[in-house]
Amino acid sequence: MNNAFRLRDVVPLVLVLAFVFISIAPLLWLMLAAFKPTAEIIAVPPVWIPDFTYLQNFRDVLTQFWPFIVNSLVATLGATILALILAVPTAFALVNHRFRGREALADWILSTRMMPPIAAAVPLFVIFRGAGLLDSLWGLVIAYAGFNLPFAVWMTMSFIRRVPKELIEAARLEGCTWWQVLKDVVLPLSKSGLAAVATFVFIFAWNEFMLALFLTTREAKTFPVVISSFVGTGRVYWEYIAAASVIQCLPPVLFTFFMQKHIVSGVTMGAVKD
Amino acid sequence: MAHAVSTTRAPHEASRRSFLQGDRFQMTAFIAPTCIFLALLTIWPFVYSVYLSVHSVKLTALHRAVFVGFDNYINLLSDSLFLRAMLNTGLLAVTSITFEIVIAFVIAKAFVSLSHLKWVNGLRSLFMIPMMATPLIVGMVFSYVFNPVLGIANYLLSGIGAGPVAWFGDTTAAMISILLINIWQWTPFMMLLIMAGLLSIRSDLYEAARVDGAKWHHVLRFLEIPSIRGIVLLGIILRIIDTLRFFDVVYVTTRGGPGDSTMVLTLYAYQQNFQFFQAGVGSAAAVIILVISIVITTFAVKLLRRIEDE
Repeated sequence: MNNAFRLRDVVPLVLVLAFVFISIAPLLWLMLAAFKPTAEIIAVPPVWIPDFTYLQNFRDVLTQFWPFIVNSLVATLGATILALILAVPTAFALVNHRFRGREALADWILSTRMMPPIAAAVPLFVIFRGAGLLDSLWGLVIAYAGFNLPFAVWMTMSFIRRVPKELIEAARLEGCTWWQVLKDVVLPLSKSGLAAVATFVFIFAWNEFMLALFLTTREAKTFPVVISSFVGTGRVYWEYIAAASVIQCLPPVLFTFFMQKHIVSGVTMGAVKD
Repeated sequence: MAHAVSTTRAPHEASRRSFLQGDRFQMTAFIAPTCIFLALLTIWPFVYSVYLSVHSVKLTALHRAVFVGFDNYINLLSDSLFLRAMLNTGLLAVTSITFEIVIAFVIAKAFVSLSHLKWVNGLRSLFMIPMMATPLIVGMVFSYVFNPVLGIANYLLSGIGAGPVAWFGDTTAAMISILLINIWQWTPFMMLLIMAGLLSIRSDLYEAARVDGAKWHHVLRFLEIPSIRGIVLLGIILRIIDTLRFFDVVYVTTRGGPGDSTMVLTLYAYQQNFQFFQAGVGSAAAVIILVISIVITTFAVKLLRRIEDE
């Protein structure tokens, strides 16, 4: 293929660059505010380029709110691990075990992904209150793992399907149990796929806001819940919002760069191959 | 399917059958925990929500539930705020998805036509950022950009002699602003899907169309649209589902206001349940949202299966 720039590339290129600019400029603008003192944030005309050595906002946010960043991390990691522990064997069984109602079961699991969280909100709140899971990280881990489980099962299925059937069959004929087949044949071969699944569950859980808003009150508040409280009825703490936004968006943005090739399959639950 | 294999077949077939049906116990152990977990998270809440929705009950005093039949539903359908939420959610779904598809298609075409330039492909992860960033932060970003006093949007507009625009300040503008944010956030998603669809078209088909003297609108109508139809439908369904749970951005930008102008379904149900503690009315709203989702999901599941099989 010819790698040279052609004259008829001009119009598409302008379109693409404009699109990329519009996509990142608003976010970038808030990120820049993270490096500005309050006076510069509210200045009109705006201060375009801040002094990037000014890190007081980050210092303030980190020293005051680090426990909530830790909460977010713990809840998210816990949910990711729990979701994968449950999803991988299920996906493996749904792909490799023939039984009546298999498709219906897979469809049902998929359909639970479509359920709006608000529909489960009050019942979840009531069980959690009864079980002492309100305002606890365990509660968040359970809720996040549950809501991401259908996604994890489906995307994992799409990766496990790529493992050649002959290998699985051969291992079975050698006398391996299903558990051994999963552990010794399928897992090593779908490692990168499972990493993608884990990453997506991590991002979805990390980005979650509404459940955390009513499931946590003080101790287990996640970082997004804290950030939302920076917009009060009184003063709006833009300098905190900006610095906190940079911290909050760091994992998803980094993962976007590393997971680029899996994103299409991730956002369609594995229905579209990358 | 395994059960269709007759035992009188060749030995290889027989061993295949035992391979497929063996160790039922292990397989059950693989599947059961997930199913139990999901049932607790979906079926039980559904039953409980339906129960609450036919009672007059406070979230703070669940033991004092009084059966009221369909009163909550009737009240909802005569509550102008709820109707507004329904209307807004529908409006958002229809308009934002339409704009997303059109813009996404144009940009996707541009991207595909530049696929010989390697560095352009490197831009892909940049434009994906809006859909991967935390939705709450997206709301914050636009509260900041559209802020009436210190917002950059009005400042830039004033530079060209326009504005100031009351982005979240007046009822029509607020809804348009929410719509713009939605489009901004989700056009990249639609674009990824459309790009995947366009890239799957074999180049010799384009070649053949060109040789046959097809105009661009012929190519669009007979080659491109049929090729991306399935994947775009999938995108539409996933986006409708998203719109039904749309919450974070309105929660931080407008909270449904000014007045009731940007109220959406999930925010309505959330407020009834967790701010006014009206678990009966809130649950009725949740059940309605759920029923709409179930209808859409039925299509979605069939469609995903079909695309998967292709």
